[in-house]
Amino acid sequence: MSGLSRTLWSFVIAVVLVALIGAVLQTQYNLAMLEALGAPVPLDIRLQTTGLDLLGFAPVFAILVTFGFALALPLATLVSKFLPALHWLVFALAGALAIFTALCAVNAALPMPTFIGANRSLDGTLGLMLCGALGGLLYDKLRCAPVHASQGITHEKSA
Amino acid sequence: MKNLRSGLLLATVLLSSSLQAMDYKVSTYTEGLDHPWSMAFLPDGRMLVTERVGRLRIIEADGTLREAPVSGVPEAFVSSQAGLMEVALDPDFASNQQIYLSYAYGDRGANNTRLARARLVDGALQDLTVIFSALPAKAGTSHYGGRIAFLPDKTLLLTLGDGFDYREEAQNAANHLGKIVRINRDGSVPVNNPVINQPDAAPEIYSLGHRNVQGIVYDSQLNRLYSTEHGPKGGDELNMLEPGKNYGWPLATFGVDYNGAQISPYTELPGYEPPLLHWTPSVAPSSLTVYNGSKFEQWRGDLFVSTLAERSVRRIRMKGSMLAGEEVLFEELDERIRDVRGGPDGALYLLTDSSDGRVLKVLPAE
Repeated sequence: MSGLSRTLWSFVIAVVLVALIGAVLQTQYNLAMLEALGAPVPLDIRLQTTGLDLLGFAPVFAILVTFGFALALPLATLVSKFLPALHWLVFALAGALAIFTALCAVNAALPMPTFIGANRSLDGTLGLMLCGALGGLLYDKLRCAPVHASQGITHEKSA
Repeated sequence: MKNLRSGLLLATVLLSSSLQAMDYKVSTYTEGLDHPWSMAFLPDGRMLVTERVGRLRIIEADGTLREAPVSGVPEAFVSSQAGLMEVALDPDFASNQQIYLSYAYGDRGANNTRLARARLVDGALQDLTVIFSALPAKAGTSHYGGRIAFLPDKTLLLTLGDGFDYREEAQNAANHLGKIVRINRDGSVPVNNPVINQPDAAPEIYSLGHRNVQGIVYDSQLNRLYSTEHGPKGGDELNMLEPGKNYGWPLATFGVDYNGAQISPYTELPGYEPPLLHWTPSVAPSSLTVYNGSKFEQWRGDLFVSTLAERSVRRIRMKGSMLAGEEVLFEELDERIRDVRGGPDGALYLLTDSSDGRVLKVLPAE
């Protein structure tokens, strides 16, 4: 696999991961708010709602993540060259800030105050940023993983 | 008619609905309005129209727009959905000249809906008094409600919104977000309001669990109160209001969030009032009236809902006290319709929502 292909696949997999876990988080955040209002949320309803959000919300969130990561991850690649020992931290921060930036941008661009429900509170926003951090770490891991260990090639870094 | 746009007499439209078809003609009654929001008919044949940008205008009986706006109008917070909204005449306007205005107060960081009354004298407002301010002030510029209706006892109902980011507050009886409130015309609270004896509840509350109510009308023939409210993506609603009832937002809805996320897994729940009708995809219902005019005999008693997203007016047929189907009108105009009212002359009047907004007059085709 060429360096570019590997980078692209790593990017896509990271975006998909963040979109999926972000959607799951959004669902649980929202259901917790409804439970606080007195709505019953048994397990089957929770699973069904989570599934609907994976189908309905995750693709929209993936678009935001793509834009955020397209800016943040190349920058993180550059910065990590100067901080090789802390590359994991650099990518985790980049992923988190990518989500934060994307949320700010979409809120500024669209008429409604807050586009994503979980983004209405600090803990929800931090949760979404944590998803981004995990995505950044996964991207770093995938692009750095051994490609052909049997041939002694251990790392293939490309931005 | 002076301001009749020549050539704009939109040709007779043959409705293709399966319901009773009716020919009508639409003409421009007045133009040159900046996002007109609400209209009220004065007893002398003139009309009051609000512009969301903060002006109250007078339209003469011949359709001419008086150049100078009404003076003395309270300053509104104008941004996005915020601004000057409803104008309504007092039930005793002929003797007291009182009018009511709803508008957004505050700034981007802290705002909500306010209601003021004043006397209209010689094209100016006098004795302006703020009689209600929705609390708490919230951030953002979405969901103000703003429509007004009067009950037979002359108490006033004001619709409100949930402020978009605060949807769960529609279930919190301690504030005005996502509520319809009922007050006396001087701003005091009627002693028979439904939650007035409930500890910690806002005493003005008439009903709760609403998202953004921009249509309300009292049907004096059926002694019913109806409202329409915007859902999120889907789930716009027509409700029949009863005092103290909870209409379920955001616990029960037919809509989903604009980003595709679920708002609630439930479309109905015990203890919460289901809508009479819901619209998915959204039509964006912006006002509601009952037509009781003389020009369209077949429309008498029917509900009319103006829409922004569908760019139409929905006629909801009534058969006795039952809803008996819908008909989509005026789509051929391709205009966002902000308000629909039956005029004292029997015509149906529409407001188009744009920076070059118009008052349209609908009459039967010859």
